[in-house]
Amino acid sequence: MITSPTIDQILEGVIISLADDIMPSIENPKAAANCLMVQSLLQGVRQLLTVIDDQLVDEHNDMIAVLRRSAEALTDNSAAAQRMRERTESVCDRDPLPAPMDRAAALAAHNELTRAIEESMRDLDEMLTAGDNSAHDALLIIREHLGQRYLRDVTSIQVGEGFIGRS
Amino acid sequence: MSTALNEALATLLTRCEPDAEHVAIGDIVPIPGGFSRETFRFEADLQRGSTTKRSAYILRKDPPYEAAILHTHRSVEHDLIEAVRARTSIPVPRSIGYEMDPTVFGEAAMVLECADGSSTTSNLFFDGPDADQADDVIRHLCEALVELHETPIDSLDPSGNLRDPRGVGIDATNWDRYMATTFEYYIDGYDRINREPGLCILLDAFLTLRRHPPRPLPLSVLHGDFNPANFLYKNGRVTAVIDWENSRIGDPREDLGWMVMMDGLSKTAVMQHPVDEGGFLAYYNRLRGLDITPEELGYFILFGTANIAVPINEAIARRVTGQNREILHLYLVQSSITALPGIGQLLQYPGIPVS
Repeated sequence: MITSPTIDQILEGVIISLADDIMPSIENPKAAANCLMVQSLLQGVRQLLTVIDDQLVDEHNDMIAVLRRSAEALTDNSAAAQRMRERTESVCDRDPLPAPMDRAAALAAHNELTRAIEESMRDLDEMLTAGDNSAHDALLIIREHLGQRYLRDVTSIQVGEGFIGRS
Repeated sequence: MSTALNEALATLLTRCEPDAEHVAIGDIVPIPGGFSRETFRFEADLQRGSTTKRSAYILRKDPPYEAAILHTHRSVEHDLIEAVRARTSIPVPRSIGYEMDPTVFGEAAMVLECADGSSTTSNLFFDGPDADQADDVIRHLCEALVELHETPIDSLDPSGNLRDPRGVGIDATNWDRYMATTFEYYIDGYDRINREPGLCILLDAFLTLRRHPPRPLPLSVLHGDFNPANFLYKNGRVTAVIDWENSRIGDPREDLGWMVMMDGLSKTAVMQHPVDEGGFLAYYNRLRGLDITPEELGYFILFGTANIAVPINEAIARRVTGQNREILHLYLVQSSITALPGIGQLLQYPGIPVS
């Protein structure tokens, strides 16, 4: 996975480009207002991305406890109370979700391993230049891994075909 | 557009067209095209005696240094264009002049005649509206490239500006030195672009190419960005080969390899024409009496890609570290990602299907 620029840097770049490149050329007031809305929405996405995983897990786990405590607080045996107890028993029969991955830590760990692959390439080049054929097999193993990564990157990142702005 | 820009253009045209008694600049319109310069189209009325002639021009202006993808010189580009016009039959729009003083246009700039013809070259291919012209246009394009590659270097570059136009230590005195010093530039450049270790396929490519050099060929003046977007055509002929800013001395197979690469990324089919000659490479080989193989082209696809990949990724690295605010540099990450499996294919990475 290509991790730089980050998702946040890309979104920030789009917001900046809207302000620097697009807004100064907009003469239609409605288009200008829509452009501001787009900027606002993108800024919202930037903010949401930093908290969504934590908040989903936190709220999910809190709801298990809330539903259980709420059902336990009921003292009567009405049909409505019974439905609530049964619903709670049904949906709360689950484990809490684990804490979400620390994205920064994951990126750093991913980066460290990819750097190791990069340095291995320099060592393999030295060995191949010296005539060590076992280095060829080692290089193939690394290339197979990287090839699958790049194929996946294209699927994940590419939009459309060709270069915008070129004939 | 500002009055200051109008005045600067009028001053440049008056200086470069000495017989013009009066110059009036019309509307200046930004145009897309080219990722590396800011480009504008404008018209100007030039009065000579009792005659006033209106002509269309192109202003190519450098972006700010930190935002520029290629750090090239408008004066060098001007001199080359005028040499190509004077010493070959390659259709190239006249370069009127340049202004290197950044206080005049904001950055260095040059003015060229506006070329006649269509720049929508994608119309030539895959049942496009001009598909009937494709063979003739590409035949002419190939002949132009051959003429460029066969014109003596000293004739087009008497001052030696194209031997190392980026000033990165390339020694183009002979093929061996050229390849060795270019690899030094690429491999040193990799460390500068190294924002993202996931791009280590580039390092793999540089090291692999260096371990397996091809046979030498005489060096030539290269166009340097010979791709499907850098020519115009009309009535079955190329009317202009444009965008010479990355021109340099190098191995002629670099231009061919880069066209193959960009033909694929641009979803065009330049290399398949002229069909009756067996395609672009076969026709190029026949005209030059060479036998460049598809395998050699594969090598120079990678080699030529490296020539562009280094400055592009340096620019992306500057964007990521906040040295400029260009959206283009972020877009290039997305738009060029598709090249990585292609590079892997050329390096024979296991598991990458042949396209």
